[in-house]
Amino acid sequence: MKQRIRRNRPAILLRHVLLFLVAALAFLSWVFAGDTLVVYSGRAERLIQPVLDAFQAESGINVQMLTADSTALINRLQMEGARTPADVLITNDAGTLERARELQLLQTTTIPDLATTIPSRFRAPDNSWIGLSGRIWVIVYNTTMVRPGDISSILDLADPQWKGKIAIPSAGSVYLQTGVSVIRAVKGDEVTTAFLRGLKDNAGSFVYGKNRQIVAAVARGEVAAGLVNHYYINRHLAKHPDAPIAPLLTDQEDQGMGVVLNAAGVGITAQTKRLAPAQALVRFLISPKGQRMFANVNKEYPLNPHVTAAPELLPLQSFQVALVPLSRLAQLRNPTMTVIEDVGLR
Amino acid sequence: MDSANPFLPLSSLRFRFPSPLVLLGFCLAIALMLPLLYVAFSAMTADPAVWRRLWATRVPELFLNTFSLSLGVAVINLTLGVSLAWILTRYTFVGSKIWDWLLILPLSIPSYVLAYTYTYLLKRGGTLEQVWQTIAGPEAVFFSPFSFAGAVLVLALNTFPFVYLLARSALKNFNISFEEVARTTGADRVTTFFRVSLPLIRPSLIAGLFLAILYVASDFGAVSLLRFQTFTYAVYQQMTGRFDNTAATCLSLILVACAFVFLFGERWFRQRSRFYQTTSRYRKPVPQPCRPLTALLFTGYLLLVFGAAFGLPVLLLIQWTVKAASAGEISHVFIGYVWNSISLSGITATAAVICGIPLAYLACRRQTWASTFCVQGAYTGYILPGPVAALAVLVLVSQTVPQLYGTILVLLMAYLVHFLPAALQGMESTLQQLTPNLEEAARSLGARSLRTFFHVTLPLVRGGFLSAWILVFVQCMKELPASLLLRPVGFDTLAVRIWLEASEELYQLAAPPALLIVVITIPVVLLLMRKDRT
Repeated sequence: MKQRIRRNRPAILLRHVLLFLVAALAFLSWVFAGDTLVVYSGRAERLIQPVLDAFQAESGINVQMLTADSTALINRLQMEGARTPADVLITNDAGTLERARELQLLQTTTIPDLATTIPSRFRAPDNSWIGLSGRIWVIVYNTTMVRPGDISSILDLADPQWKGKIAIPSAGSVYLQTGVSVIRAVKGDEVTTAFLRGLKDNAGSFVYGKNRQIVAAVARGEVAAGLVNHYYINRHLAKHPDAPIAPLLTDQEDQGMGVVLNAAGVGITAQTKRLAPAQALVRFLISPKGQRMFANVNKEYPLNPHVTAAPELLPLQSFQVALVPLSRLAQLRNPTMTVIEDVGLR
Repeated sequence: MDSANPFLPLSSLRFRFPSPLVLLGFCLAIALMLPLLYVAFSAMTADPAVWRRLWATRVPELFLNTFSLSLGVAVINLTLGVSLAWILTRYTFVGSKIWDWLLILPLSIPSYVLAYTYTYLLKRGGTLEQVWQTIAGPEAVFFSPFSFAGAVLVLALNTFPFVYLLARSALKNFNISFEEVARTTGADRVTTFFRVSLPLIRPSLIAGLFLAILYVASDFGAVSLLRFQTFTYAVYQQMTGRFDNTAATCLSLILVACAFVFLFGERWFRQRSRFYQTTSRYRKPVPQPCRPLTALLFTGYLLLVFGAAFGLPVLLLIQWTVKAASAGEISHVFIGYVWNSISLSGITATAAVICGIPLAYLACRRQTWASTFCVQGAYTGYILPGPVAALAVLVLVSQTVPQLYGTILVLLMAYLVHFLPAALQGMESTLQQLTPNLEEAARSLGARSLRTFFHVTLPLVRGGFLSAWILVFVQCMKELPASLLLRPVGFDTLAVRIWLEASEELYQLAAPPALLIVVITIPVVLLLMRKDRT
């Protein structure tokens, strides 16, 4: 009897293994079944999850999210092709969305009240993506070290007088890439290259991967100024109300370039099989409630003009914004990367 | 024909083994090597302009960073590893036995978990800086975790046990007569150590350093959280920051080429410096009791190293986990991540062991050029850093069977390429210990090869195969870059969660999964060490 048990053991082991595999496969198929709306998101989970939760509670539609870098998500969508599980794409950068449109990864969104909710300059020409919140690229300066009059244009930061006194984002930053794209479009490659060279020399080792670190460095007085998205300043001030920092909007003179504005936005994938729930999500995101959650939580500008921005922000209408259409950002992107890398920014 | 010659040697039975085994091994090896070959191919056929740009802008800096990081870690590892091993093999004091065990524990913390606890500890106005300021004055600043020093510190604390373990076993099996001769000819302790002991344990130190450097060069987790640009991190950044993977494949090729050079360099070095015990007068070193003050000093030193590499980070994790639990942040979603990790790791480990069987069999029972090729081919995954393995599988799949992209199979493939070598190593050595006579006996009694395998071989090697399974399971639980890049929707693993939360500096949210991984890894690390010791 004992002999027999021993002989069967490997068979039992094998059976356990097979059972395990079957169970795992069953689990996998369970995950992919069902009417879950799949969202690919390049936005920090902390910012987007509450919005999706609210949508889920209101509509009863289950939402599943995959978080990754925006560019990686586009690569992924492209590779998945017709088989993508994604229904909706959300990114923090209009350039990436436009790139997705060029690759025909998105479809035209037909929502009745779209035209009256989001101004056309914050949408793709064919409505395949829709801007949700605006973020402007500003200079954060230490109020004890810089007077606001010292800097009027973003290009001033390349001046040798700022050597060792400014902090900049690393070359991998989408914000930097967008900002440089806009400067290239307005001022041309020669001016941009000279600007970046100066920026690189002046920043030295003050190159940061996160905007938050730039704001912190300015607040501590390690550097006098830095380039960041505006809401990082508000975020720092919310935690440290006495920090000696303030935003400075550049290029505001008549006929000036204006500040660089980028938009976070949303698009419905070309391959979605759940069009109605996907449209419902977009409608929610542009509705006043969705806008307040999406934009105001992060102190960004809601792009729905019927929703007021957070009170601590300068009104969007009160300053000049660079007139480069958001939809041009995509085609500017790759040459911009080359310019940035040629200059040798890290 | 057999009956005509009753004295046919048993070894000739091998010709009757089914060649499907070789065929199977061949297919597996090709499948495992293909991704790497494909990356090499697409890198070499890449636009020369991409190469030029990379050489001009990225490569020199990445070389310098990767090299200096490895060097920095190696120097600290040597200092820590040798000094700790010396103390614990040459002296005995209260508690010196426990330290043997405690100093292995740092191996159970994944690099990205250590990195993220240190981003907290070292941040401006953080705990360590406050302590430092009470000593050195209020103006003193500690180095930032997001710097060369930060990366060196974290990776050295994470890898010093490699050097420590090998130095310890070398010092333990050391012939103490050599030291005694040196002492009787008038050399003092310090001279003896540097002129006699250290040179003699050099091969072990090199082996330990080799492991540590390979770990550092292929590490993604720590350098990505500390944002220190090494080759491995740059591959990931190129993959996620650009709309095509050409630059990433180019960097991968350079990295893999360097790894190969390093690998062969190490082999060559080891062959040159091999020391043999030529005298029969071998005496084991006997640990000496030491004075209370010295013992106190030693304990303080051990506590400092252990606390920095394991104690303090784990205490932080526990504290954060408790906070997260009491804030109700551990929900059913968390259980989902646990299940994702466990099921993925379970499937991979099972697949790795099943795929490993024919390869291990080939390695041990057939030493032909074909089997050598298969086995060496399967080992190539060993030197592939995670992002490169992910990129390789991704590029291959997208060019050949794009239907698979975005499914769990791609992730499993990357895991297999990456972790099969670890399983194979264990399985090979287990099978090696089993004499082929048993199998030959079964075969001569008329059992078919499959029956022989299931009824004779498998029951005897089960233990070894099980530990290979466990090893792969744990490695998969900790795996970060491939999971991050290839996970399907809804398949966030524990490692991915830790990384996502930690890169947003949400310390509390990252703690429960991190603690869980450490807790699961500890028994495995101890188990492997115990096996190593006996």
